[in-house]
Amino acid sequence: MPVLLARTADRLFWGARYVERAEDTARIVRAYNDLVVDFPSQELLRWEPLLALHGSDGDIDIRPNDPAGEKAVVAKLLADADNPASIASAVASARENLRTTREVMPREAWQSINQLSQYVSATAGAAVERQLRDRFLLRVIEISRRLDGILESTMTRSSAYHVLRVGRLIERADMTTRVLGVAAAGILALEEAEHGELVHDEVRWMNVLRSVSALQMYQRAVRGPIKGDQVVEFLLFYGSFPRSVQGCFEELRVVVQQLPHEGEVLAALDRAQSVLESVGPHGDEIELLDRAMDRVQMAIAELAATMHELYVSSAL
Amino acid sequence: MDELRDESGAPRPVAAALLELIDQLGEDELRARQDLAEVDIRTMGITFTVYSDGQNIDRAWPFDIIPRVIDGQEWDHISLGLQQRLVALNRFIDDLYNDQQIIADGVFPADLLEASVNFRPECRGIRPKFGAWAHISGSDLVRDATGQMYVLEDNLRVPSGVSYVIENRGVTKRAFAELFEQQRIRPIDGYTDALNQLLTSLAPDGCDDPQLAVLTPGIFNSAYFEHSFLAERMGAELVEGADLVVPDDDCVYMKTISGLERVDVIYRRIDDLFLDPEAFREDSMLGVPGLMRAWRAGNVSLANAPGAGVADDKVVYAWVPDIIRYYLDEEPMVPNVPTYRTMYDDERKYVIDNIGDLVVKPANESGGYGILIGNRASKQELADAVEAINADPRNWVAQPILSLSTVPTLVEEGIEPRHVDLRPFVLTGEYSYVTPGGLTRVALPKGSLVVNSSQGGGSKDTWIVDGRYYQSQYQQFDDHGRSQTQADGQRQSQQQGTA
Repeated sequence: MPVLLARTADRLFWGARYVERAEDTARIVRAYNDLVVDFPSQELLRWEPLLALHGSDGDIDIRPNDPAGEKAVVAKLLADADNPASIASAVASARENLRTTREVMPREAWQSINQLSQYVSATAGAAVERQLRDRFLLRVIEISRRLDGILESTMTRSSAYHVLRVGRLIERADMTTRVLGVAAAGILALEEAEHGELVHDEVRWMNVLRSVSALQMYQRAVRGPIKGDQVVEFLLFYGSFPRSVQGCFEELRVVVQQLPHEGEVLAALDRAQSVLESVGPHGDEIELLDRAMDRVQMAIAELAATMHELYVSSAL
Repeated sequence: MDELRDESGAPRPVAAALLELIDQLGEDELRARQDLAEVDIRTMGITFTVYSDGQNIDRAWPFDIIPRVIDGQEWDHISLGLQQRLVALNRFIDDLYNDQQIIADGVFPADLLEASVNFRPECRGIRPKFGAWAHISGSDLVRDATGQMYVLEDNLRVPSGVSYVIENRGVTKRAFAELFEQQRIRPIDGYTDALNQLLTSLAPDGCDDPQLAVLTPGIFNSAYFEHSFLAERMGAELVEGADLVVPDDDCVYMKTISGLERVDVIYRRIDDLFLDPEAFREDSMLGVPGLMRAWRAGNVSLANAPGAGVADDKVVYAWVPDIIRYYLDEEPMVPNVPTYRTMYDDERKYVIDNIGDLVVKPANESGGYGILIGNRASKQELADAVEAINADPRNWVAQPILSLSTVPTLVEEGIEPRHVDLRPFVLTGEYSYVTPGGLTRVALPKGSLVVNSSQGGGSKDTWIVDGRYYQSQYQQFDDHGRSQTQADGQRQSQQQGTA
């Protein structure tokens, strides 16, 4: 089996994470976009919790239903080169990382990344407009999916492949917890504004599911009307769904066993798993959910740090 | 002299099919295909890096869609001539670092070697496998008004451009698919496999399944794309200096996610002086401390070998015909451009007296920098050049101003002749290999002779087309389109081609 340079492993890990981040952000904004259309103008709809996705809130002053404010948030998420969490930044970072790993990836894979980067840098600015937005987001998701398809169907199951998978899965698990965290924060904000009386609860939870493309799968798995605690349960623990945190952990467990130092990595994964399991289904206790998601994110970050230490820092 | 059209403007036989197609397509369609080719180049991520305004910019590779066509028979002769040249140059380098017989025999002046900035005393006494030092080289060829091809210079250190040769072909294959069906255009894809074979053959004795690595200065280097491309095509690791380590056992290892792994052969794309801070420049951040130690101990093979550059300065160039005669007892098959050596009083006097009609070149610059073209220089520039020559006569050579050949090129004004040169790549080890064709670089501004991509030059695909094939093609094309006779002719030459 071909060897994998420590430096290359680091770039692959981050390249994969950034592509996944761009894709997941696109899914989230798409779902929100859908929600906006559903809510007539009098309804309270807040875009700014979205900025909390990567902790970049606070510096945009917007009021609900202010179209300029909405555009500012979307611009920040899609096109802002200064926002490291925007789709444009994530894609640029993915390309910069993967440009240095071309020799270990199928050529077609590099071409999709390159195509994604060209598409995003040419279109992200214009996609802030609502007419173009959905098409843009869909295209980002599609190219990212195509990249995964190319890797899945044409790349040797080498260490390089496994490291790319690890990057994807860690970022995906992290993003799912962030979607839940943001949802919790958004609902909290509304509760405050509406004095504890929450309207259209199910629509909001439906949106949470859509943000991770989980609505349909949720409905097939969980019968009955959509309930907050069940949504949380599904997105955290329903292991058969590949974007649930549990699903990501299960796949990670298989992948890391193909890599060196698997004992130490599995131990770190066990620690993350037990943090995850300590989370109750807090669909009804929003404040607790928000804090629990912070804990899971930290556990995921620790897992990533352990792998970085074992594969990269200790080698270089 | 235009390579595709004769003096009357009629297509030369070798280019007849191509020019006929271009006429049929018309300029608009040609431009549309050029645009598509540029989209391909961006999508495929074919780039080169230029340093500008304090930033490294990853730019799309400049490419002209109209290929340059060279006759197969002529090419066979040039190819043999290049093999001859590189075999002799490698014998020369090996001799300089060992017995120095050529100096003892009075053919090469000892003081030239003493003054050489590219001679590496650290390499004395080393005998690389097959006596090969400059394993991978690129010689720049130019054609003058009479149609004669000359070697203009040899690049024996880290010549770049071969990845663009291969990528350019990929692009023209799509742009002119119809011609690839009809003609026998020699494929160039085999280069990376030949390079792989060469590098594998260089492995230290006893190493059966060598680990190959391409050593790059990193992402900011102008040829990073090529380093990555070659590693990709050969299945080699692309490493930077910091990825490698040479412990006390004098072996080279790379740092992998599962610990240190031995490296056996390194195709290094870092200049000698930056290769190993233990041996050369201490401040080099690009190199690998101890690499020379490992090489001298025979634990790793380096291509090209350190010190190979001793034979590619523009002063040594003037001795290459003598070097070929000395080692091989043969006449050079591809001539040098006549070259005046300003270190000799009589030749310097000639250069200074005729500086307005000469090209003056510094001996050790690449990338076209520091070149003075006499008939285009101002009085002040000429005077400065004379002063520089007098100050350091060994550092300069001068050559007559050649009237470089042209090839039709799609420019803003339409399809116009533009000056070109050609860089074929030569592999030398146990066996020799020459790319069929090479990198044709084209000077895009009207009348310009500067072909370097870092200075606004473009590139073209280079087609080596086999003779009988295109001739029958041409006759049939004119009158009746494809006919039975023609199809028979194609089958025959295909059989001969593969026999």
